[in-house]
Amino acid sequence: MSARKEDYDSPVENHWCPGCGNFGILTAVRRALVELDLPPQRVLICSGIGQAPKLPHYLRVNTLNGLHGREVASATAAKLCAPDLTVLVHAGDGGAYGEGGNHLLHAIRRDIDITLVVHDNKVYGLTKGQASPTTSLGEPAKIHPRGVPSRPLNPLALAIALECGFVAQALSSRTDQLVDILQCAVRHRGFSLVNVLQPCVSWDKTRTYAFYDEHCAPVPADHDPADAIAAFRLAAQRTFWLGILHQRAGTPFDERVLPAGRGPLRDLGVEPERVGRIVGRFR
Amino acid sequence: MEVNLRIAGAAGQGIQTAADLLGRALTRSGLFSYLYNDAESRIRGGLNFCHIRVAPELRQGVAEHADLLITLTEPAVQVHAASLSPGGRILCPARFAHPRSVGIDIEALAAQSGSKITQAVTAAAVAACWLGVSPDTAGNVIAEMFPAGSKAAESNRRAVELGFAAARERPLSPPLRLPAGSPAGRLWISGAEAAALGAVAGGVRFVAGYPMSPATGTLTALAQWAEEAGLVVEQAEDEIAAINMLAGASYAGARAMTATSGGGYCLMTEGISLLGMIEAPGVILLAQRPGPATGLPTRTAQGDLRLALHAGHGFFPRVVLAPRDIAESFVLTARAFDLAERYQVPVIVLTDQLIQDAQASLDPFPVEELPRRRYFLTRDELEAMPAYQRYAITESGISPLAAPGTSRHTVVADSDEHDPDGHLTEVPSLSLQMAQKRLRKAATLARELDAPLAVEGDPRRHPLVVSFGSTHPSLAEARQRMADQGTDFAWLHLSQLWPLSSSVRDLLRDAPRLITVENNAGGELAGLLAQVGLRESDARIQRMDGRPFSVDELDARLREVLA
Repeated sequence: MSARKEDYDSPVENHWCPGCGNFGILTAVRRALVELDLPPQRVLICSGIGQAPKLPHYLRVNTLNGLHGREVASATAAKLCAPDLTVLVHAGDGGAYGEGGNHLLHAIRRDIDITLVVHDNKVYGLTKGQASPTTSLGEPAKIHPRGVPSRPLNPLALAIALECGFVAQALSSRTDQLVDILQCAVRHRGFSLVNVLQPCVSWDKTRTYAFYDEHCAPVPADHDPADAIAAFRLAAQRTFWLGILHQRAGTPFDERVLPAGRGPLRDLGVEPERVGRIVGRFR
Repeated sequence: MEVNLRIAGAAGQGIQTAADLLGRALTRSGLFSYLYNDAESRIRGGLNFCHIRVAPELRQGVAEHADLLITLTEPAVQVHAASLSPGGRILCPARFAHPRSVGIDIEALAAQSGSKITQAVTAAAVAACWLGVSPDTAGNVIAEMFPAGSKAAESNRRAVELGFAAARERPLSPPLRLPAGSPAGRLWISGAEAAALGAVAGGVRFVAGYPMSPATGTLTALAQWAEEAGLVVEQAEDEIAAINMLAGASYAGARAMTATSGGGYCLMTEGISLLGMIEAPGVILLAQRPGPATGLPTRTAQGDLRLALHAGHGFFPRVVLAPRDIAESFVLTARAFDLAERYQVPVIVLTDQLIQDAQASLDPFPVEELPRRRYFLTRDELEAMPAYQRYAITESGISPLAAPGTSRHTVVADSDEHDPDGHLTEVPSLSLQMAQKRLRKAATLARELDAPLAVEGDPRRHPLVVSFGSTHPSLAEARQRMADQGTDFAWLHLSQLWPLSSSVRDLLRDAPRLITVENNAGGELAGLLAQVGLRESDARIQRMDGRPFSVDELDARLREVLA
């Protein structure tokens, strides 16, 4: 059986602003999943709250649209209980790096086999223009009329420092590259972070499509993604690098935690007699 | 006929190990033991005690008096000597020179074992011998408690021998002996472990939690049995992660639970609301300790009833069960998993420190009659359906449940208000349909879980006492004692706090007097009864110092309000 583009058609009306960077990401995800030959029923997309997290509604896929910032925690457990699913998380920069920051740290530590796609537009869209963790220092925002007083979070450097096994950055308007990166991220066995830069056409008049075209550069051809130190050095620079910064094979959490040779936890029945195997120690 | 033993000393002196040894050895010898723990929130020092009631039948009420007091520190003697029963004796280091001392210097004796940390175990062995435990039984139990061949195993083995020899040399007069029956495969088990065992019986496959007393014991037990039980336990980074992991596991189709105390539960409440909205089954063990905030971390309380009943924004159906003792922790936790999946709701098992940390000799839990059904649509059922809607509108409010990846259909769950397909919507008619669906589900739950109440005594003639949770054993004993002396009251003990039985209202209306008994400051149960039955308590018996009600205290306070 081969997956077709139409298999992913959703009847849900799209609520994004015209020209939103999310459209490029939606197109790329669908293409990546089709090219990976995954039927929709084998794919789970978890998300939280915001504009980006509406994405799974616009595809026909298994969807857990949960709480703001908690999408990675829910996805971690869903993957453990249904390891036969390909699990992606779509979150905004607010959900992934703000509300859900702690969950991100620990998902990277666990190295659970899910792909986190962060729609990083450096602004809170759905709540109308507040600063996000990736907004630049000094930039005015709704609750920071005199400029954001904190330094921005560097998600790529953070993930590399935490020994994340797959760290990449893409631009929402460069669909072909995003499709390639998403496929690599899904294929990677372990936690993958794909930070997707995207313009916010409603709240950010500075970082436009033209701005990103000007400030982005491909990861240098001689960069060795296996070299974490080199990757960190790149990530620490001001350039918006596009491509895979770091990739390292490891044993993912699900492989370490799940008992071998048993079906998904999802499919197991209720076995009260298992109590009998345990009570001996209380006699 | 019973013997009360109390072992008191500092944290780190092995009191709990010694009490565990005694309880287990006595259980194997055909006697019933009940042990409750009183401990400070520290790892070393302070003043802790374990109280063990030993009797030919199970007595789980909290007793205040000790017939034999083992004290390892001077403050322990000073504080606990007051609890000695008439004729009660003390087993302690000779240097404390207490007039009630039995004259065995447990300090000197323990020194002979090669490690002075064995003092508590040495004393426990003395007590075990006096209570008729055989040296073989005590020796076997201690051997099982320490890694074979370790230094600790050797010194503790020796400590038991020394204790037995000293006890034989100096028999207690009058003797402590109790008539023992057959041990009959009885268990020596804690409330935390019983809840964990109940979860296994209920088919739990995924557990996420963050350590917090007094819930931690349940997480630890489940983690230790993960392989035999066929489950995965993950220590989450925080309680928010734990409840959202539960939601993810449950959505994916596995039976899932978490365990926490009040503070952690507060962090989880948005997630509880999520379970309500996406109609994901989930079991939350809420083991109470006194609040607010950090409160008394190692003490007991029943202050979170209304938290369990109400926490989480918006309306959604839920079930709240409260075990009365260790055995019911098993039964209700197992049942919680069935209810959670059958009705696709969060089920809260409301227990507390007294139950969680206590241990008792119990008959093996019956597992044959526990429900085994899973409520998910099968692969074949799903494949036969032309389309699948996660939130299909039904009369009962319960929609057919499917797990992702089990058929050609996709499963969509959304924390936003959603349409029957699970997609977010703001269409008023659809929002109304979903709100009504959740209300109908609450009504279905209330109807199908509406069991008649078991009221003891005559609630129309006598004052009605209402209670829930861990006060049960002490109340039962106090009531019996009072009845023997001619004071009667009717008694309703609630194990299912929500949905509340429809007969509660009539019962409250007709009771000549209403008395609530609860271990909290806020009058949680009284508040619930006032809300449901429009009936204020005529008297409230409360305790709010983090300690459990004892039989004696309830006896005295009930007499006071009934006089």
